Amino acid sequence: MAYVALSEAEKTFILHGVEEDFRCDGRSRRDYRPMELETALVSNASGSARLRLANTDILVGIKTEIDVPDPLTPEFGKLEFFVDCSANATPEFEGRGGSDLAQELVLALENAYESPLAFDYRTLCLIPGQQCWKLYIDILILECGGNLHDAVSLAAKAALHNTKLPRVTASLLDAGVTDLIISDNPYDCTRLTIDTVPLLVTVCKIGDYCLVDPSAEEEVCSPVSIVVSVSMRNGEAFLSGSHMTGGGAMHRDTMRNCLDLGLSIGEQLNTLLAKMLKQEEERVGPKRPKTVGFLK
Amino acid sequence: MQTLREFTRKTKRGNILKIVREHYLRDDIGCGSDLCKYCFQNEVYQLTSKHEIASSLFKFPHYLVLDTNVVLDQIDVLEEDVLHNVIVLTTVLNEVKHKSSSIYKRFNEIIHDRTRNFYVFVNEHHKDTYADRDPGETANDRNDRAIRMATKWYDTHLDTSQSSKEFERSGRANTRVVLLTDDAGNRAKAEAEGILVASATDYVKSLEEFPLLVDKLSHKTFDNEKQALPQYPAHLSMKQVLEGLRLKKLLQGAFQASRENYLEGSVNVETYEKGILIQGRECLNRAVDGDLVAVELLPESEWSAPSEIVLEEKNVYADDVPSEERAEEEKDMLQQVQQAAAATSAERTPTGRIVGIVRRKWRQYCGILQPSLIEDTNRHIFVPADRKIPRIRIETRQAAKLQNQRIIVTIDTWPRNSRYPQGHFVRSLGPLGDMATENEVILLEHDVPHCKFSEEVLSFLPKMPWSITAEDYAKRVDLRDLFICSVDPPGCTDIDDALHCRELPNGNYEVGVHIADVSHFIRPGNALDQEAAARGTTVYLVGKRIDMVPELLSSNLCSLVGGVERFAFSCIWEVDKEANVINKRFHKSVIKSKRAMTYEEAQVLIDDATQQNEIAKSLRQLNRLAKILKKRRMDNGALVLASPEIRFQVDSETHEPLEVEAKQMRETNSMVEEFMLLANITVAEHIAAEFTECAVLRRHPKPPPTNFDPLVKAARYQGFQVDIESGLVLSHSLDKCVKEDNPYFNTMIRILTTRCMMQAVYFISGSLQKEEFFHYGLAAPIYTHFTSPIRRYSDIMVHRLLAASIGADSTYAQLLERKSNEELCHNLNYRHKMAQYAGRASVGLNTHLFFRGKEEDEEAYVLFVRKNALQVLIPKYGLEGTLYLKTDKEGKDGVERTKSEIIFTFNEEDHTQRCGNVVFHSFDPVTVRLSLDSSNVQHEKLVFRLVKPYIKGFSVEPSSDADNPPTKKTKKDVKKKN
Repeated sequence: MAYVALSEAEKTFILHGVEEDFRCDGRSRRDYRPMELETALVSNASGSARLRLANTDILVGIKTEIDVPDPLTPEFGKLEFFVDCSANATPEFEGRGGSDLAQELVLALENAYESPLAFDYRTLCLIPGQQCWKLYIDILILECGGNLHDAVSLAAKAALHNTKLPRVTASLLDAGVTDLIISDNPYDCTRLTIDTVPLLVTVCKIGDYCLVDPSAEEEVCSPVSIVVSVSMRNGEAFLSGSHMTGGGAMHRDTMRNCLDLGLSIGEQLNTLLAKMLKQEEERVGPKRPKTVGFLK
Repeated sequence: MQTLREFTRKTKRGNILKIVREHYLRDDIGCGSDLCKYCFQNEVYQLTSKHEIASSLFKFPHYLVLDTNVVLDQIDVLEEDVLHNVIVLTTVLNEVKHKSSSIYKRFNEIIHDRTRNFYVFVNEHHKDTYADRDPGETANDRNDRAIRMATKWYDTHLDTSQSSKEFERSGRANTRVVLLTDDAGNRAKAEAEGILVASATDYVKSLEEFPLLVDKLSHKTFDNEKQALPQYPAHLSMKQVLEGLRLKKLLQGAFQASRENYLEGSVNVETYEKGILIQGRECLNRAVDGDLVAVELLPESEWSAPSEIVLEEKNVYADDVPSEERAEEEKDMLQQVQQAAAATSAERTPTGRIVGIVRRKWRQYCGILQPSLIEDTNRHIFVPADRKIPRIRIETRQAAKLQNQRIIVTIDTWPRNSRYPQGHFVRSLGPLGDMATENEVILLEHDVPHCKFSEEVLSFLPKMPWSITAEDYAKRVDLRDLFICSVDPPGCTDIDDALHCRELPNGNYEVGVHIADVSHFIRPGNALDQEAAARGTTVYLVGKRIDMVPELLSSNLCSLVGGVERFAFSCIWEVDKEANVINKRFHKSVIKSKRAMTYEEAQVLIDDATQQNEIAKSLRQLNRLAKILKKRRMDNGALVLASPEIRFQVDSETHEPLEVEAKQMRETNSMVEEFMLLANITVAEHIAAEFTECAVLRRHPKPPPTNFDPLVKAARYQGFQVDIESGLVLSHSLDKCVKEDNPYFNTMIRILTTRCMMQAVYFISGSLQKEEFFHYGLAAPIYTHFTSPIRRYSDIMVHRLLAASIGADSTYAQLLERKSNEELCHNLNYRHKMAQYAGRASVGLNTHLFFRGKEEDEEAYVLFVRKNALQVLIPKYGLEGTLYLKTDKEGKDGVERTKSEIIFTFNEEDHTQRCGNVVFHSFDPVTVRLSLDSSNVQHEKLVFRLVKPYIKGFSVEPSSDADNPPTKKTKKDVKKKN
């Protein structure tokens, strides 16, 4: 993880701030930093999103491919996550420096998306047992400003929302073999439903208190944090996975508090994200948007 | 400005990819009009006020914008030099390119013709006219919208330029922009948007100055006044066809119509050796010769055999509804055939019916208009010159003018309810029977490129006056002192080979074959080379030659004329007295032929013992060696084949044939031939050894045994055994086929043998195994063409290879590239075949001309006995024709086919026709009367009528003043054989 060097005095200052529920940047413990989100900015990808959470900058692109379903789950499509920690973010990522972090993020996402209740893999299936979509979710970390898990999951969810799969019809050939026919209209697409797609919420323990959306400095002060993945179903938040990061341990009660906090924050985040994506879509309309991208 | 074009595509592996292309929009694309004051014009104005078309529909100056359907359907109208100031949108251009490459090519030619004022407006890249595809819009709708957008833009754009005071003062009418489209939907939308719009038909009709242009309109929307019932089953949709092909329910192949029977054809399918037989109008289902079709195989119980009936379609008239009578008749024919087939189940072949058309191979057809029964009708029937093509229904107002002309017509569509395809008139070639017109027809029908050489091609010719430089002498071996001479047919101006022979001090002989060094003048890759490669071969018609290379080369610089220094590629052998080659060498040389002789002159020189000059001596020596070579070749199993060849003596002014004679073979012909063969074989061995992968060679595959069936059968009826195991055995058994009483018998057997042969083809050595290089006819293990570079492109390729191998010329990448050379070979094979056919067609045509107004009794031989006809051959003219035996119900042309009591019975076992006590066998001599039947202006044809043996009521009375009195072989001989 990107490491920020802090002196003891600075750490104490941050710790006291958390205790007072008045963090360095003026937030309370339940507050997120401001976010910017834009979708459909990579025209070559089937779906894309860019999320900026204060200084954390994430770009997600989704590519599609036709694949054969696994024999054990013939009705499921496939997802594959890939995280690239760009050396732009911090010089430590140079070479293979970022691979551990990338691996951790991939595992966290895979874990969160693993349950068919969290992500409906059936929607990616074209012909059971024969053909399905495989989505490559490529995540590029452009800048590290703390709280990567949350940012990455938000961007991934937004990108999935933005993903357009060309409409495919199947025609039956001899001996039950099928052939896919794609529509020639580039606007003739299917969309994914993202209602249940999980978000990750990092709940960070600093001192005796738990907080969300830690900045890079706060992360340094935290001995342990728990990443809670929250999936929404019928307006209710469910836990779809969790894992701990950092070297420290956690008391049972603290952990319960953390999970509760994560779930409630996750629920809020989910609603907000859904609202914002809807707003964006209404603004843009069905045609290709004029994107802002990195040129602000 | 930039935008993006997105589309999805399926890869071969079955993956689906989203592809995004950047698309740049510009603001500096000129509108190309001389009225415009705003645009930056990057080329000369194409849209000028110089041309104004008077249309009664739009009575002001206007520019035209064409919709894609107009270009695709009405290309013939566009090709006429009538429409000017046309704006061609890139949207349209791309659609045309996508839909039909041939029309695209023609359209491009119009665009490049600057005098036509066709301006290509890059609307797809203009910032104001680019139409981004809307959601829910089909690609077609988008293109239509783009076209309307561009039209609208042009109109307003020109309007702003013309609204200035200055322009108003000039007093000129405002130029508007008119959209031509045949799509009613598009027209309605355009009208709603305030665009001037018309359909192509309405517009062309409104051009009062060019009333005849209407004829050229394509009639895709032909209004059928008689809503006749569908006469054909519907074709399957493309999707169904593709699915059927994939499921192997249907088979795909090229349809080949039968020349003899218009109700029969076959489809060549890979898995069936003989192709699939198609019989009957409904099974043929509107396929035209050459079309790529989908066939459904009939159940085996319905299989049939090719009919042996020669059936020609009778005259029909444009307003004909298919008469019941004719339908009946066709049914009769089918039934007959099927019954016959049922009887001889051995001959039954896979039979099918055509259910769909994969791709039409319609082209333009030459032919004549059939005179119509009704006067003042616009609807006519066009009869193509090619028998394989059905008649075509066209509409024209110039019928009277076109009546005696050769015209070109193209097919537009063939709806289910029309017996014939519908088409339109393209252009006239000239009066019927005129030599130039008829030659043009032959060239067009055989796809022979015969236009003049372009300026670009001519620019690569050496500059005249041309002379040999000192540098050239240094590079080449100087053979000017040798007694080299050439021997060719009379009147030959493209002399590409010359010979010499001299005795060496050691008693051996030095023999040289010198071939015109064409590759010196035609450098690889330039326009001249490409043109020559495309033409492939020089085409010889009677009295006309279509050169492969420009005349300067073919008749002057390359031609090895006597007494002039010329470049040659020499192949020189040292041979002993028994014509065994001791060594050989190749080099480029400078020669000075001492004399260019005809075969006849050379023969005289050899035979005249008083002649003792160097040339005569070397010719005699060559002749002697050639005989040895020939004998050796024959012993190896080379075949002596025969095909009736004739020569016409042509009037130099009118180009009409004066006299016909069969080609004579002299010793000297064979002498030249032997040495050319030797040179070709020597070169073939050399280049195949030097370039194992890319040598250009020629092979003649051994025909499959089934090919020989007709020959073996025919010989067996005559009591001869023809062995076809190998070339050697065949050659021997052919030699034995001699009949005392029929001196022509052997020749006929050889003619039949020739027809069993496969085509010899060029190929690239790397593409086949060594054993397959074999040349069957010559019994040579390897062969190529080296000796006629002036008239064959293959020889030029061989020259280049040979030159590269001996270091006389530089190599270049393409020389060694197998793939491109293979393609070249394919083209050469095709051109070669076509040139042969064209040559034959030309001979046929001249035969017709020759017999115009003549009637002759000639000695002939029966070549085949068919079910309803005898196929006879007249040796004197090398002419083959059909002698119909059975009368058709209505009578063919009413001369002798009155309803006769004469019944011919066909015996299938030994293929004979019997009438009373007269029996016709194959090879029987008969006497026939030849005359030209000109009663039918459509198709003049030679009519054969039987003179001898005399059958009362069928034969014609022998004419007393016949040119050729009937020969001694008469009825008696025929009877003897019974």
